[in-house]
Amino acid sequence: MMARSLVRFLVLILAVAICGAASVYSPISDSHRSAAQDVFVPVDGSYKSLEEAYEALKTLEILGIDKKSHVSSVTCENVVKVLGSSSSTLKDAFYALSVNGILKCKTGEDVPKDIVSRLQGVVKDAKLLLDFYYSVRGLLLVKEQFSGTDLSLGDAEAIFHSIKALSQSDGKWRYSSNNPESSTFAAGLAFETLAGVISLAPSDIDQSLIQTLKTGILKLFDSIEKYDDGTLYFDESQGPISTTASVIRGLTAFAASGSTELNLPGDKIVGLAKFFLGVGIPGDAKDFFNQIDALACLEDNRFSVPLILSLPSTVISLTKKEPLKVKVSTVLGSKAPALSVKLTQAISSKTKASSVIKNQELKFDADSATYFLDSFPTSFDIGKYTFVFEILLDDSASEKAYITEAQTEVPIAVTGAISIENAEIAVLDSDVGSVESQKKLDLTKDGTVSLSANHLQKLRLSFQLSSPIGHVFKPHQAFLKLKHESQVEHIFLVKTSGKKAELVLDFLGLVEKLYYLSGKYEIQLTIGDVSMENSLLRNIGHIELDLPERPEKASLPPLRSADPYTRYEPKAEIYHIFRVPEKLPAKQLSLVFLGLIVLPFVAFLIGLMQLGVNVKNFPSSVGPATSALLFHGGIGAVLLLYVLFWLKASFSKPILLKITSTFCIKNLILIILIPPQLDLFTTLKALSLLGVFLLFVGHRTLSHLASATNKLKSA
Amino acid sequence: MMNLSRSVALISLFLLPLLSFSFSVDSPTDRRVLVLLDDLSLKSSHSIFFNTLKSRGFDLDFKLAEDSKLALQRYGQYLYDGLIIFAPSTERLGGSLDSKSIADFVDSGRDLILSADTSASDLIRGIATECGVDFDEDSSAMVIDHTSFSVSDVDGDHTLIAADDLVKSDVLLGKTKIEAPVLFKGVAHSLNPTNNLVLKVLSASPSAYSANPSSKLSNPPQLTGSAISLVSVMQARNNARVVISGSLQLFSDRLFRSGVQKAGSPNNYEKSGNEQFATELSKWVFHERGHLKAGSLVHHRVGETDEPAIYRIKDDLEFSVEIFEWSGKSWEPYVADDVQVQFYMMSPYVLKTLSTDKKGLFHTSFKVPDVYGVFQFKVEYEKLGYTTLSLSKQIPVRPYRHNEYERFIPTAYPYYGACFTTMAGFFVFSFVYLYHK
Repeated sequence: MMARSLVRFLVLILAVAICGAASVYSPISDSHRSAAQDVFVPVDGSYKSLEEAYEALKTLEILGIDKKSHVSSVTCENVVKVLGSSSSTLKDAFYALSVNGILKCKTGEDVPKDIVSRLQGVVKDAKLLLDFYYSVRGLLLVKEQFSGTDLSLGDAEAIFHSIKALSQSDGKWRYSSNNPESSTFAAGLAFETLAGVISLAPSDIDQSLIQTLKTGILKLFDSIEKYDDGTLYFDESQGPISTTASVIRGLTAFAASGSTELNLPGDKIVGLAKFFLGVGIPGDAKDFFNQIDALACLEDNRFSVPLILSLPSTVISLTKKEPLKVKVSTVLGSKAPALSVKLTQAISSKTKASSVIKNQELKFDADSATYFLDSFPTSFDIGKYTFVFEILLDDSASEKAYITEAQTEVPIAVTGAISIENAEIAVLDSDVGSVESQKKLDLTKDGTVSLSANHLQKLRLSFQLSSPIGHVFKPHQAFLKLKHESQVEHIFLVKTSGKKAELVLDFLGLVEKLYYLSGKYEIQLTIGDVSMENSLLRNIGHIELDLPERPEKASLPPLRSADPYTRYEPKAEIYHIFRVPEKLPAKQLSLVFLGLIVLPFVAFLIGLMQLGVNVKNFPSSVGPATSALLFHGGIGAVLLLYVLFWLKASFSKPILLKITSTFCIKNLILIILIPPQLDLFTTLKALSLLGVFLLFVGHRTLSHLASATNKLKSA
Repeated sequence: MMNLSRSVALISLFLLPLLSFSFSVDSPTDRRVLVLLDDLSLKSSHSIFFNTLKSRGFDLDFKLAEDSKLALQRYGQYLYDGLIIFAPSTERLGGSLDSKSIADFVDSGRDLILSADTSASDLIRGIATECGVDFDEDSSAMVIDHTSFSVSDVDGDHTLIAADDLVKSDVLLGKTKIEAPVLFKGVAHSLNPTNNLVLKVLSASPSAYSANPSSKLSNPPQLTGSAISLVSVMQARNNARVVISGSLQLFSDRLFRSGVQKAGSPNNYEKSGNEQFATELSKWVFHERGHLKAGSLVHHRVGETDEPAIYRIKDDLEFSVEIFEWSGKSWEPYVADDVQVQFYMMSPYVLKTLSTDKKGLFHTSFKVPDVYGVFQFKVEYEKLGYTTLSLSKQIPVRPYRHNEYERFIPTAYPYYGACFTTMAGFFVFSFVYLYHK
């Protein structure tokens, strides 16, 4: 359990270490104050419980934010109610007294007698550590807040003994005598309780008791967890913040009450302070309170106040000639006593051994309360350094009251402008190495170099980088990027050898890597480094590569993700192209041809007239005349049937009748017989009937005509 | 790996109708989210992000990633609708959870926020790979950018990136433009080019690269320039949404509150864009935005109101569909000008953009093509960040009947005339021939 939570916590610390400056701890600042206002937001003018109210009010009080008026009315009502009622729990009563200490809802002579007698009762026969804690601390709060009360604790030493009975040999404490599990958190509570007992005790407590307690405290520090940079903390199931805060509260309360001094090693105090500062800004209200409260305890303790060295910026720019600034303050950011800061060493990360700057004292600027170093030796180059600072307190009195780290190591990055010279790009002939074309480059702006090469040639890019003091500079990032039209990219490192950074691309060996893609390649140069202030990304121009054809077996260029914007664009609309109707001649043309077709018929009729056609041969007697009329009527009916059959689909029945009624009356009889559906079958049926009829009347007519002709001939 | 993700996608397609969705159209407000942390202190250090989720009505359940009682489902029912994994270093998840059960969780249509960090564990990398995102294989590598780092980077490592290359999409990042750059410190990833469901939301600048800041480069870095994705999203075919971030700190209170000034830029922002970015992205991933719902496809002939059983070629028809978007509280009419309908048989014959009445109704009208067969009305709506709509309705189209053609053709008048004059001539001739004297 311990190991696992340790691992978890290491992750947290690691995260903090990565995101914050590696081991630069800054004191509580305004960012904490603004965050506190977000974290401790009362709901409807009050907090959920008195415990939360106390934590919120205490934190805001320490940070110097006045929010009391917002919550005081509702919260005070609660406090008065809890203090007045005899049924409220011990915990509530304790927190009501705590809140009262801040809000001053109830003061003066108006002592809550019930509460006092209850607390006194609990102290006498308590068995649980928490009962002791609430009652003793509660009584202490009453003593602080209300004057003129009789707060006799009874037999203080007996109480001291019964609390001490809960302690374990390893410095931890138990919550109750039945529960064998020991806890560091409980130890913190116990120290606080015992401190209360000592201050409430009518007479001095036996020194030997206090002495054993002190050894217990020192034992407790054996179980402290440590991180590489000297950060110290206690860890337990409640989490490191609340456990460590509990211990610190206990220690400071004990130190404040004790008649004797508590000798804690200074680095332990600073380590604990660094732990709380390294946590950053907790988002959880409880953690926030514990952090701020513990820091406030450290700030205001009886043994030694830790001083924290902080740097506004760990990056020094040589071009801007900014001085190195260092601030020293207490954990809550208040002013430190008179002291001097010395830079004992400045070790470059490259040359580990020798120090560039030795034992230089920083100047002090009283206005901004900063210590600064404004001149650096001429040999001071850009790069990464570890600066080692020492704080020396000016007078010996404060040396006792304050405690500092022996040495503070701070990683410093020194940056400067790098000069780029002799930048040139050239295409070389491979076999002889002769220069085909060479161009000078100005890397302060994008260039428009245009080169061309085939696979037997080489491309050479070279430049010289030097640091402000003229040393050869090797950047972390020096990439040449070739980007083909099809978005395939290739990255090459430009390596520095000697004074010159040079890259030679032999295209013969690269054809495979370039996927045999001929065409235009854009050339992009990126030079960047942590220490380089003028890091750059430049488009140099382009090179037209003429590479051999891709063999079948060669690998294809990698796929590229589709562009999300074009992928989701709406598709182009599609309209259906309808089949074009066949081209027809104009209606007039058809009518002209209709006229032409009718002409022969007209000519036929005129011809008949001209020939003097007559119908004198028409039978004169009634019988043959009737049959002849019927014969021609039948022929007419057959022709009309054809016409009707052609027309039928387009006309409905009534129209049919209407049209036909305008014809001669004789045909009307036939029309009525027409069934509504004049399809092929009914038409054929009607035709066969008419045919038989025609056969009969035709025969009679023709035989009559034949006999008439024969009579004429024989006559 | 590709095959796996493909088969996963395929299976999810088949299971689609069988599974209950996390985002159900009936009760979209019911949202339980499991938050897996590798350290409970993250609850406090990332509290602003979690509090915004809580204030939007999410029920967050914080668990340690190694908690042995972890379970995503009980008796075949999923206990959560969303999952946040803020446990970059966890090598093994507790309980019955592994990368497969998380893939199953996403395959069931549920949402995931995954955050890696430098030295991300193989487990986290594995889950990301399933989603089409490959983190830099070098576990010590970080994104470094010597030109667009944040000035507040106290380390001077140029690893605190001030990134402002955001995807241009209102649905992913909200209507309000994110002005301030987003602070990022973490590991780079690239998108699997064969996976077209995943896309970059926050990309690195062209000068960025992924390498170990404390050691010299001996080989060109694998990931450079804008190919580096810092934060990516994936929307599966079943509309499950996934956010993958290379930085856990991006969500932290510290970077939420931190001011930002990009190196070389005069603009100094009081507050980084992180809070807005993370909040808006979380709205998207938990379907508070961009989730569409469509009614049925309605079509009829112009002038009629009932849907016919069959259309004839060259009929004029009217088509409409209603589309709504979930706003986190209610279904709001969806307004867009790029919803398209296809009249489809093997390939689209007609593809038209629908016009909207801004009350959720999209409509258009067109003429049925002169090709007969069984057609489909198809609305396949894919838009960046939105859920995919895929609706179709089948309808047959018949040709003209024989009596629906033109009856009297003017061009044929001479033929008609020839027939009838012949008939009339015959009639006259029969008189003349028989009775002439």
